[in-house]
Amino acid sequence: MEYRDKKELFLTMEHTTQLLSDTTIEHIYHCAKCGLCLEVCPVYREMLVESHSPRGKVQLARHIIEGDLAITDRMNDILFSSCLLCGSCVAACPSGVRQDVLFSGLRWRAAQRHGLGFTKKLFFHVLARGWLMSQSAWFGRWTREILRITGIEEKIQAGNLPVEGVPPMNAKPFNNAYRGVIPARGMTNARVLYFHGCATNYVFGDIGSAVVSVLRRMGVQVEIPRNQPCCGLPIFLSGDRKTSLACIHDVVEKFDRDDVDAVIVDCATCGSALKNEYPHILKELRDLGENVDDDLVEAAERLAAATMDISEFIDIHREWMPKFSPTNGEKMKVTYHDPCHLLRGQGVGVEPRRLLTMLPNVDFLEMNEADRCCGGGGEYQIEYGDTSALITNRKIANICRSGAEIVATGCPGCNITIGAHLKKINDIRILHPVQLIHMALEGDNWKT
Amino acid sequence: MIRECTAQELRHIVGERSYLDSREDLIGYSYDSSVDEAMPEAVILPTNTAQVSEIMKIAYREEIPVTPRGAGTNLSGGTIPVAGGIVLVLTRMDRLIVLNKEDRYAVVQAGCVNLNLQEAAKKVGLFYPPDPASWSVSTLGGNVGENAGGPRGVKYGVTRDWILGLKVVLADGRIITAGGITAKNVTGIDLISLFTGSEGCLGIVTEVTVKLLPLPPFRQSLQAFYPLLDGASRTVARIIGSGIVPVALELMDKVVVNLIEDSAHIGLPRDVEGTLLIMVDGDEGACRNQAERIASICREEGASDVLVARSDEEEEKLWLGRRSAFGVMSRKRPTCVLEDCTVPVSNLLEMIRGIVAIGEKYNLTIGVMAHAGDGNTHPMILTDKRDKDEWARVEKAVAEIFQLAVDLDGTLSGEHGIGISKKPFLPLIMDDDARKLMTEIKSVLDSKGILNPGKFIEQR
Repeated sequence: MEYRDKKELFLTMEHTTQLLSDTTIEHIYHCAKCGLCLEVCPVYREMLVESHSPRGKVQLARHIIEGDLAITDRMNDILFSSCLLCGSCVAACPSGVRQDVLFSGLRWRAAQRHGLGFTKKLFFHVLARGWLMSQSAWFGRWTREILRITGIEEKIQAGNLPVEGVPPMNAKPFNNAYRGVIPARGMTNARVLYFHGCATNYVFGDIGSAVVSVLRRMGVQVEIPRNQPCCGLPIFLSGDRKTSLACIHDVVEKFDRDDVDAVIVDCATCGSALKNEYPHILKELRDLGENVDDDLVEAAERLAAATMDISEFIDIHREWMPKFSPTNGEKMKVTYHDPCHLLRGQGVGVEPRRLLTMLPNVDFLEMNEADRCCGGGGEYQIEYGDTSALITNRKIANICRSGAEIVATGCPGCNITIGAHLKKINDIRILHPVQLIHMALEGDNWKT
Repeated sequence: MIRECTAQELRHIVGERSYLDSREDLIGYSYDSSVDEAMPEAVILPTNTAQVSEIMKIAYREEIPVTPRGAGTNLSGGTIPVAGGIVLVLTRMDRLIVLNKEDRYAVVQAGCVNLNLQEAAKKVGLFYPPDPASWSVSTLGGNVGENAGGPRGVKYGVTRDWILGLKVVLADGRIITAGGITAKNVTGIDLISLFTGSEGCLGIVTEVTVKLLPLPPFRQSLQAFYPLLDGASRTVARIIGSGIVPVALELMDKVVVNLIEDSAHIGLPRDVEGTLLIMVDGDEGACRNQAERIASICREEGASDVLVARSDEEEEKLWLGRRSAFGVMSRKRPTCVLEDCTVPVSNLLEMIRGIVAIGEKYNLTIGVMAHAGDGNTHPMILTDKRDKDEWARVEKAVAEIFQLAVDLDGTLSGEHGIGISKKPFLPLIMDDDARKLMTEIKSVLDSKGILNPGKFIEQR
């Protein structure tokens, strides 16, 4: 485990002269310009301008690589404003082009040249440092309270995000209430580590407790390591690789363990980071000549193989599920929204649907375009509110038309975006699938 | 050169945000799905016919070249602005204006996406037959410009066969209407045929009226795998000869099958010389009956395996591979040169054998697909444009393939159009006087030569 002592060595970055790795550059040349990505791109669908399309940006990247286009202000704007990094183009590309790797690589270079902007810098700084995050959670809670009392909150709209509809912070971080080894109820079928991510820790504590409760009922021992860092992906995708690498290093160090059966994640974004992105990210940096330790890459690969989304884990081990509580026959109408980072990032889509259909108190309804991005994209909706609004409105309309009372989704980002917009217009609630499973086990009704 | 005061006038018509001239935005309109590229000077995105007309009046006055463009998915370079000037992008004119169930027609703006029309029609029990592989993005205006076809062409023909009427903005900005909404219409010179397939060289189509069919109540797809290509070819001849008119009759050779399997992992057998993908539609009983007859013909002609789709999902799976075939080719090598020369069905096997031989002669990987039912071949040359030596061989091979098609009583293009990529070969198939006539027609409609200049029609 040599990499553990070399934390500071591989964060030079600026020394790299080549813009992108050879593999990534080769991808550009494999784009057949067939245009099939246009239809699936949420931004192109609304803007209908080629430079905002995945094909357009791949071609722009080629001009940059060939040296006849610089990363100009306009290019910088295109890279950030016209892409939610939802991965729809990657999934649809018949030529196998990894636009996500390409675009995030260019964002990194753009951020090096144009800077990140003060808010992003501050936000990532806070995210990347656990203790700062917990301080700001307290601060955030306190601020929200004041804004609410004074009635200012309902008037605040951050970009396209109606702040009033954003759920409040946890009374105390999830990790303060749940940490260490929590034994299974009854016989122990498996032992897992639980990576709860920042969202569960500071906002969605209820999802965290549902995860723990359901797993325990299934005979799973849950271990929750202390001081869990940010997974680093939101930071990475915005181009601040240096900060994100500290997170990645920290996560791998804490979660690459050979004495557990799986690493469970309840957040689509964290999951796709641990399960998919870490090895790619590290290898690309190594290809670029950065000082990335081979040991770290191997550890990240082991972690990737062990990581599983909570829906996937429960689905695989359905036979461990105890009997559901009897119902009074009343069913909740539930639809499901596919988070980009779960469906395309991890290939999980069938599993949550299978689980929801299995629940005795759920009447499952499929909505139109369930697999389309919600338009949130983390800070995208705040910075590029106009475009985001067009995409989100489409999603909200599809939800309303489905006739559901509850939207289930396994991503805190989608949860905040969709939830805040739904709250403005009606009483459709948004929950994590694991919360619905928890209710079915406990015999709870959503109305209570 | 577009003068700044002219640019101001144009911005005034469409608004600041629909007139693009930053280098980054221009690059986005310097290519389509073909291989070539050229930079425009400005990109304009109008939202209605009146705006197009105003833009054309200015372009006409200032003699600025104008290249109309939809989604830019054509394979012949038809939308590449070789003379610079304006690229007029109609993607924001995407409204479905009328969908008439009683008289079975629809009116759409030129930027309406093919699949959106398909889906809207389906909701009221109707059906728009032309289905280019790019249908999820390509626009009706673009389909008209290139006279696009697709797999269903065997039974339903190409775009021209489904157009009842067009609204066209002429080079000087006048707006004309051709055709109407009636199922039959033989009034005057057939202007619809004149504009369809003219690649925006004669006028700019802004509205399209299409004929719709009742949605066939049932369809069934089969896929047959052949250890020898001859068996596949005999099957095609026998199906056509038997009186069955399949919706689609697609052939893919082993190169294509293997590449699709590499990317899609749908379980295609890799050790075949070719496969046929066949669809029939109509009444359920008739379909099942025809599918059975087709399946037995396939087996009699040596198919090692015949799959019949049992559900919509299985059906979709069979066709997904075919639709992504063009893109899939680029997994293997960066550049894919895709042609669409067409021969009489009876010469199809000879054409395919000839293409394979040309590939061997020039040491190139060529995958062959064909809409076998109408003799439309799709040789796909896998290459890397950056490799100068190989690219020179590709150019020679392409020329030989065209010559072969002509020698086999065929033609250069079945459904992609001529654009710039096939322009040098036009004399192989059209004599001097025929080409001169096209030039004369263009000079009447576009006396200043501003409409998509540099494409297949020689200018005066």
